[in-house]
Amino acid sequence: MLERSTTDILILGSGGAGLFAALHAFNADPDLQITVAVKGLLGKCGCTRMVQGGYNAALMPGDSVERHFMDTIAGGKWLPRQDLAWRLVEGAVERIRELENELGCFFDRNADGTLHNKAFAGQSFDRTIHKGDLTGIEITNRLMEQVWDRPIQRLEEHRAIALIPTPTGDALSGVLMIDMRSGNFRFVQAKTVLLATGGGPTMYRYHTPSGDKSCDGMAMALRAGLHLRDMEMVQFHPTGLLAGPSTHMTGTVLEEGLRGAGGYLLDGAGKRFMYDYDERGERATRDIVSRAIFAEMRAGNTTPHGGVYIEMKHLGVDDVRRRFKGMVERCADCGFDLAGGRVEVVPTAHYMMGGVIFEPDCTTSLPGLYLAGEDSGGVHGANRLGGNGVANSTVFGGIAGETMAAHARQDLAFREPDESSIEFETARARYPFTKPSGDLNALRERLLDLMWNQVGVLRDSTGLEQGIADLDDLKCELMETGLADGGQVFNLTWHDWLNLQSQIDVSQAIARAALQRENSRGAHFREDFPEEGDLAASTYTVVRMAGDSLELTVEPVDFSIVKPGSSLIDGEAGMPAVAAK
Amino acid sequence: MPTMSALNVSVWRGAADGRFETFEVPHSTNQTVLDVVTYIQRLLDSTLSYRFACRVGMCGSCAMTVNGRPRWTCRTHVTKVAPDLRLEIAPLKNLPVIKDLTVDMSDFFTKWQRAKGRFAPTKTRSDPVEKIIPDSQARQAADAGIECINCAVCYAACDVVTWNPDYLGPAALNRAWTLQNDTRDGDQRQRLRAVAGDAGCHACHTHQSCQEHCPKNLNPTASIAGLKAAAFRAALTGKL
Repeated sequence: MLERSTTDILILGSGGAGLFAALHAFNADPDLQITVAVKGLLGKCGCTRMVQGGYNAALMPGDSVERHFMDTIAGGKWLPRQDLAWRLVEGAVERIRELENELGCFFDRNADGTLHNKAFAGQSFDRTIHKGDLTGIEITNRLMEQVWDRPIQRLEEHRAIALIPTPTGDALSGVLMIDMRSGNFRFVQAKTVLLATGGGPTMYRYHTPSGDKSCDGMAMALRAGLHLRDMEMVQFHPTGLLAGPSTHMTGTVLEEGLRGAGGYLLDGAGKRFMYDYDERGERATRDIVSRAIFAEMRAGNTTPHGGVYIEMKHLGVDDVRRRFKGMVERCADCGFDLAGGRVEVVPTAHYMMGGVIFEPDCTTSLPGLYLAGEDSGGVHGANRLGGNGVANSTVFGGIAGETMAAHARQDLAFREPDESSIEFETARARYPFTKPSGDLNALRERLLDLMWNQVGVLRDSTGLEQGIADLDDLKCELMETGLADGGQVFNLTWHDWLNLQSQIDVSQAIARAALQRENSRGAHFREDFPEEGDLAASTYTVVRMAGDSLELTVEPVDFSIVKPGSSLIDGEAGMPAVAAK
Repeated sequence: MPTMSALNVSVWRGAADGRFETFEVPHSTNQTVLDVVTYIQRLLDSTLSYRFACRVGMCGSCAMTVNGRPRWTCRTHVTKVAPDLRLEIAPLKNLPVIKDLTVDMSDFFTKWQRAKGRFAPTKTRSDPVEKIIPDSQARQAADAGIECINCAVCYAACDVVTWNPDYLGPAALNRAWTLQNDTRDGDQRQRLRAVAGDAGCHACHTHQSCQEHCPKNLNPTASIAGLKAAAFRAALTGKL
């Protein structure tokens, strides 16, 4: 059964990007009909809520948007699209004031009452605004309340499955989704659609994102023919909790600050190893620490569950308990003593820098489709600075809301959908009900292992080629694996099947882009091509789906604001203020 | 991971008129109640419905009734709640069941709005961020309840909600009190009016169930007492 509805503005996702888009669209024109559709409950799923660290904005005297920009470019290893990075750092300043003054976020203060800015790795100035170590909850709760308070329609537990074009295919007509509670299909015709479902590299054995994430947004964009860039750039956080394969706790982040404060990383025998890899020891950047841990794991120097240990007790058990209250409590709930004992950790897939190519006003190559947040690509380049993720989603979410409101006001008529596309996509989603049931969970486990082993922290051509072949096999097996239960009502296992399909499609894009990039930049490390290559000749990868196969190209980076070797600031971008003197 | 023994798990199936079904799930050392539910759905009965998102106590999507008590399932260690290896898992109370372990949380969110649980600005993005001394009394009072993640555990634990389905409940009132202490907020009088009605703060019987069950160790009972006193003072001075 197919239900149909219309809306001027349709927003997919309710993280920082989706909620900001809804509020800005409403403020721009309260007469527009605005609908937010989300896979879970509004504001309660997705990853903005899970932000621990904070929000980068150049608000302090002595800091500048130029400095924030240079840190972002240097951190991104010269791959960010510079006009997007500029829009990010410029917009972040206004967003922080909007969050505090208009939406009611209550960020931490210094003793004199001014905003507290904390230090975060890879930045030349302390500019990370935060609310303890639970910044994302504060931001998302306040946004969610404001959206509830306005006449904005909510389609909760509605999973988007396809972008439906017009019959000629030259614009977007709307989005096909599944009402997960009833199991019915719903086509929402919309003048403008924002894709803001968030990326989330959940296809890796160890991963941090929310359990509802499965790269649906990028998978839908690929199938709709959009171009995605930087897909090889998957950021690994070095210290995910390791508690065995059968618990959801495994992979969840133990915060960066533990290493920053002087925490030790120890191999299975209890020996520190980070100084074998970097003179900064445990305080080296995320990518270096992740690779070092991965190398130790591959050499077999591991803990019972196959990772390494983090140890804090030499910093004083009571101090650790006080400074890292949230982390200590979380570990304690799971049976681990972070303050006084050792906790097993492992690198964990955290964030996708890559995504759909979009413009600074959030438009895309497909009229009617807009992009913001982790589904989009180009803002962060090869690496994202801690604190730039939530800035990205909220800055561009707000811009998208304004652009969509302006366009929705201009467009008088809804675009007719390609009915055959609706039929095709409905049949594609129902496909697993037509096959005999099989061991879906075993396929999921295989995907996690193959991405971790072949397309993970350390890569080479042999592993990547094997990974691509294995992904092809996995996809074929998925198409032969059906569901035991024919009911569509709140059928999580049906959605697990659809999740796996999205994850495999996006995994193929990651693996192909990783094979394409024959150098090592930021999050992407090729053991067979360990050099970063000529910065001035930097290129970025572009992947698109043509028929059933992926096509790869590379494009030169346009250094539209600053070229490698030059800078907009005095001192060194990305270096802590003291080190840069 | 060593499997020590099997858990005997009773799980609610169906909607309000459902029944418990029993499963045997291997017990392991690092195992949360959410892991048990997922094990059943992935490996024993693919038709089981439940809800979770963040896995780490940030989203408030996965609360259920575990051995009679409302709890986050993601951060509830099995060994802490089931020393005899028996678990009974049911949907949250005081909210309509959709299917199996999922409830419809709409009423809970609607009441948050009825209590005017949202900031009313007095400044704009063009203004500088306000200076607020962190150890000022109002800031401390606002901070006390601000970390609520709207998981509805307190709402499910509250007897008054069971007796009076109109009652706003502890989470919404706690949010209202937090905002009453926010010196930047511009809707103090309206909000106090919204929470001072029959189904508002005065309906609380101070059973302290909310405080006892809050996974964040917040104290909605104290927030409600703050609202009661403020409403009383406002009524006396004719400002309600």
